[in-house]
Parts: sequence; structure tokens; C-alpha cells
Amino acid sequence: MTAEPILTVLLFSTAAAATAPFGVIPFAILGTVPVPWLGGAFALASGFMLGVGYILMAQGLLGQEALAPILGAVLGVAYTWWTHRFSGNDDFDIYGGPPDEIREYKALVLSGLHSASEGVAIGVAMTINLHLGVFTALALAIHNGAEGMALTWTLSRRNVRLAHSAALCFFTNVPQIMLAVTTFSVVSAAPAVLPWTIGFASGALVYLVLTELLPSSYQNGRHTHVSLLVSFSAGGVVLLEGLLK
Amino acid sequence: MEPVLLVFIYSSITALATGAGAVPFLFVRTLSPKVVAWANAIAAGLMLGASFGLILEGTVHGSLQTLVGAGVGVVFISISHNFLHDQDVSFGEIRGADARKIFLIIAVMTVHSFTEGVAVGVAFGGGQKLAALITIAIAVHNIPEGLAISAVMRPKGASVGACALWSIFSSVPQPLMAVPAFLFVEAFRPFLPYGLGFAAGAMVYMVFLELLPESYENASKPAVGLLVSLTLGAMILFQRYL
Repeated sequence: MTAEPILTVLLFSTAAAATAPFGVIPFAILGTVPVPWLGGAFALASGFMLGVGYILMAQGLLGQEALAPILGAVLGVAYTWWTHRFSGNDDFDIYGGPPDEIREYKALVLSGLHSASEGVAIGVAMTINLHLGVFTALALAIHNGAEGMALTWTLSRRNVRLAHSAALCFFTNVPQIMLAVTTFSVVSAAPAVLPWTIGFASGALVYLVLTELLPSSYQNGRHTHVSLLVSFSAGGVVLLEGLLK
Repeated sequence: MEPVLLVFIYSSITALATGAGAVPFLFVRTLSPKVVAWANAIAAGLMLGASFGLILEGTVHGSLQTLVGAGVGVVFISISHNFLHDQDVSFGEIRGADARKIFLIIAVMTVHSFTEGVAVGVAFGGGQKLAALITIAIAVHNIPEGLAISAVMRPKGASVGACALWSIFSSVPQPLMAVPAFLFVEAFRPFLPYGLGFAAGAMVYMVFLELLPESYENASKPAVGLLVSLTLGAMILFQRYL
């Protein structure tokens, strides 16, 4: 690996963000994607994110102190709740209903906010060890690809060109890179905040799955398919992380 | 007292504790669709929290075995769900889709009790002090499980007594399994991670298949998100400090 650990963080969080534009590929080949695919993409994204949330929380509870990671998780939930409310997205169906002026802009704002929490997850995982950090970045990269597909679908209804959609998918994930680097630096400098940060990341991810991703998967896919995809992708992430260790 | 008798008495106490989960429903009367959705979200959080603890515990005994168990759990619920779909199930006054869901949740909790019974029995092998501790832990941990069952049954019109009885029923396998597990500790130990994983997989799948979709229908997304994540966190903390 690189001599500077912070460069590793930069590299992997950028790679995770850079997979989001791959979401346009199905559109480039097929023109459009069937709606159930969208449900499947959200379900996969949910499973990967839940798996990461589980791994982080399990890691956070390894220490003697369980209160700090749990309180951190409460902060993560509260923060995400607040960003949804603040941006007017708290009970908003981005991926349902007819296209309109505001919907697509809101989808972009929400994606940006959402990727910030992913950045915290990558950054904090990197401070624990390289293996966990790289694994988190890879799991979120696949998650981002699925999300990129969903975002492209929303944008395509406003006839946004695919090249522009791809660029937007990447740019909404830039906060992820910035927060990964920042979190890594802060936690490395002040290790006392580690259990709090790990809890924060885990709480924020679980809350994002519950309020953004799962409702959209149920809306666009069959319940049996959604629950199978979520359970197996989350289980797969947990299993892989355990096996690679 | 004969150790075997003690194991039986202790594990019966854990089973009876499950009935306490119905108690809050003595005080909750009006049940609008929104309240039902909230109850489902709470049950979802409790079950996700319980699975988190089960998987953590299982991975101590063997990660791969736990996840194999979890996969079997998902398949088990998937098959029973499809099977029940073609049957006319009824629970007292409750029929159709609601009865199916209640049946499934009780089945999951009951199957999962087998594992808990094994855990109590195996713990007795490690001395009475440890066993008393595990008994208290499992008894207290059973209360939210009774709560989860009641939270699904009560809104559909089941009486509080029925909620309590079915909650206790779901824990009857505990005394039944604790005794043989205590007598044959070494033979049972290898199955523990599979059992823990099975229970976790079945519960997680149940949450995504039945509880969450129903919550989203009648409650706002922030409400579901907050209820699920906070009960999930409380459950993790709760298991940790017991």
C-alpha cells in the first residue's frame, strides 16, 4: 500500500464514488430498465448498507464500553433525521409519482447528503484497520452502483443525457470522499472519538436504509424478491468480511 | 435439589417470562392503522436487535456455521410462507392474511426457542452461577419477544390473555430442550451456531417480508425509521448489559 495512510483512504473512497456512474450502463445498453429492476437495485443497495452497518456496530461493541457506540448511533439517526427534515425530504417519494420540477433536484440533494454518511463509514473503518476499510469501501462501491442506476432512472425521465447523469452520479458522491478523508484524520488524531464515530456511522446507515432505500424497494419490487435480496446481500457481506479476516 | 430438576424449573421460568410481553397491551386500547403500523415497526426493531445478538453470539461458536444456519432460516420462512399462502389459516376470530402473519411469527419465535433452551442447558454445564445468570438473561430477553408477538396479535383483535398464552407457548421448547441439552452438553454444543443462525435468518427475513412493508403502508417513513432504529439500538444495549 501507499506510504501515506491518508492517500489510501483517498484512493478507496474515490474508487467507491467512481462506481456510481456505472449505474448508467444498463441504460446505455437497453435504453431504459424495467421498474422491478429498480426495486432490485434498491434492495441490493439496502442489503450492502445493512451489512456494513452490522459489521461496524459489531466492531464498535468489541470494546468494554457499549454505551458510546450506541449513543453515537442515536446521534447518527438524529443527524440523518434532521438532514431529511431540513432539506424537506422527510416524507418525500423521490422515486415514485410523476416527474416534476423539484423532484429530480431533491433526488440530487438527498443523494449528496446520503453519501456523506457513507464517507464517515469508510473513514472510520479505515482507522480500525486497512482490511475493514477496504472492505467497507468495496461494499459501498457496489451499493453506489445500484444507487447510480436508480438516480439515472429518475434523471432519465427529465431527458437528462446519459453522460450528464453519469457525471451527476459521481458528483453526488463527492461528499463521501471528503468525509472519508476528514473522518480518518480526526479519528486518527483523537482515538477517543472512535466508538462514537463508529456508532454514528452505523446508526446513520441503518436509518438511511429504513427511510430511503427500503420504502423505494417495496414500491418498485415484489416483497418476496426484496426481502430475499436484502437478507442474502446483507448476509453475504457479513460472511465475506468474516471469511477474509 | 436434583440438578436436572433445577434446569427444568429455571427454563420454565424463562418460558413464563415471555407472557409478560402482553402486559403493556392491557393499557393500550384504541388501535388506529397508524398505531398498528408503529407496533409493527417496534416488533421489527426488536426482532432485528435480537438477530443481531444471535449472530454475534453464533459467530463466537463458528461464523460459517452461523451463516449457513441463517441461510436455512431464510429458506425455511420462504417455504412456509408460500405453503401458508394456499391454506386457510385462522387464529380465533382472525383469518386470512393477518392470521398467516401471526402464525408465521409464532412459528419463528417457537423454533427459535429451541436454540435458547439449548443455550440454557449448555450453560448449566458451566456451573450453577453461570446458569442462573443465563437464565435471568434469557428470561428478560424473552419479554420483548412476547411483546413482539403481542404487538402483532393484539391490533388484529386477539385478547390480552390470548397474546400472553401464545407468547408463553412460543417459549415452551425452552424447558423441553434445556433438559436434554444439559444431559448431553457435548453432543449439543456443535449445533449451537447453526441454531442461533437459523433463528436470526428466519427473524430478519420475516421482518423484511411482512413487518416493514406493512409499517410503511400506514406510517410515515421517519416514524418507521425512528421506531425501528431506536428499538434496535435499545435491544443491542439491553443484551449487552445482561
